[in-house]
Amino acid sequence: MKLPKFEYRRPESIQEACAILLDRPSAKVLAGGTDLLVNMKHRVETPPMVVSLKGLADLKYVRTADGGVRIGALTPLKKVYNDPFVAEKLPALAVAASSVGSWHHQTMGTIGGNLCQQTRCKYFNQAKWWRSSRPLCFKAGGDLCHVAKKEHVCYSTYCGDVAPALLVLDAQVVLTGKDGSTQVPLESIFSGEGKTPLKLEQGQILTEIVIPDHAADGFSTYKKAANRGSIDFPIVGAALWRSNSNGGSRIALTAVDRKPLRARQLEDFLRNKEITEEIVEAVDSLVGKEIRLMMSSTDTLSYKRRLIGILVKGALREAMGGK
Amino acid sequence: MKQVIALNVNDDIYEVLVAPNHTLLEVLRDKLGLTGTKRGCDLGACGSCSVLVDGEAYLSCLLPAVEAVGKEIVTIEGLGEGGDLHPLQQSFVEVGGLQCGFCTPGMIITAKAILDEEPDATEESIKKKMAGNLCRCTGYKKIIEAVESASEKMGGKR
Repeated sequence: MKLPKFEYRRPESIQEACAILLDRPSAKVLAGGTDLLVNMKHRVETPPMVVSLKGLADLKYVRTADGGVRIGALTPLKKVYNDPFVAEKLPALAVAASSVGSWHHQTMGTIGGNLCQQTRCKYFNQAKWWRSSRPLCFKAGGDLCHVAKKEHVCYSTYCGDVAPALLVLDAQVVLTGKDGSTQVPLESIFSGEGKTPLKLEQGQILTEIVIPDHAADGFSTYKKAANRGSIDFPIVGAALWRSNSNGGSRIALTAVDRKPLRARQLEDFLRNKEITEEIVEAVDSLVGKEIRLMMSSTDTLSYKRRLIGILVKGALREAMGGK
Repeated sequence: MKQVIALNVNDDIYEVLVAPNHTLLEVLRDKLGLTGTKRGCDLGACGSCSVLVDGEAYLSCLLPAVEAVGKEIVTIEGLGEGGDLHPLQQSFVEVGGLQCGFCTPGMIITAKAILDEEPDATEESIKKKMAGNLCRCTGYKKIIEAVESASEKMGGKR
């Protein structure tokens, strides 16, 4: 399947990249390419210009600093989970990064690109000829959504593996634009809208992920259910972090909404409680209240609802028996 | 806009005229005649287009050729030396790690990347890392055995 034609730019610096993006709002950023180029082959995205970040070599690193970790946005997923500190102290991130696609995708795909991936939908992630059997959906440039018959709302689902793991690790991201950099909570970059899932300003690029020191002071894990265990997006996924010192928990879910979701009611319920089998069994009904499932994948809502409960309970049981 | 780029493929330098939307796979097969690398799904899901880029297993269908400038690319044609098969190729033949053969170049390239990184890779590790290479004849058992056999030949401690 041929890629559509596009103009190619390969800036040498972040400032130059930001300037190009400001100048050409319709341009798309290319990192590892394993998400964008597939969508372009499907003609779901047809940007007139692609701005490659491959020339920015100084964004590939995993550095421990002040007890926490700073990860360059262009660091391949493989390098992230192979990092000894990440593997030992931040297992949720290591497990999530190593569960993305296949080994090839983990080699080519970057952590920043993974966070900024497009939302997914069974009506949208298809070849153009497949989609041509019905009117174009809102996400692909049309006027309606095939998932819910409402105009101008896109219900495609955020299916990233890494985002929930980073959310429970309380990660922040550095966004770089023309006027410098700002550091914001990771959660704040997700809009919750299927059509434009990211809330970056024009000309802004996600350049770094910052994981604070207290993230390493706790148990963490990521659980994923996929059609193929070897290479697939999650049907649903759940990450858990449990503090070693203050009784706090963080839980984040993926593929259950248009953005990765912090399960705050569940976190409140678990606060200062020792995890016991009774507690674990009680979370099922709470998980159901947090999620906003839509028929955007081939799996039924009831199946996904049961699965996410099983994953959260599995993560809690692991924490119960774990560290 | 088309531009002339220089690609280092199997230690040969090729100057080719490419557009930004030409993938490395298209250039290898259609411009350089290196048809050992196979076009399967062309969407990064099957692994049959695997090539080595600076020693790592890449999906050439998802890499614009312009992004491969300055990298060392190795395809299945570049593995053997002087007409001799590479130990991995030899093992695939001996063990019978192929049926129709379409996935084989991608399998061998991925196996090369695995054994370069992890000479004594365990069966579990080989399975995990080769999961992105699909064989529709379903001959996986022999493929894993072939990689293990090559690992022994190549001196990996098991």
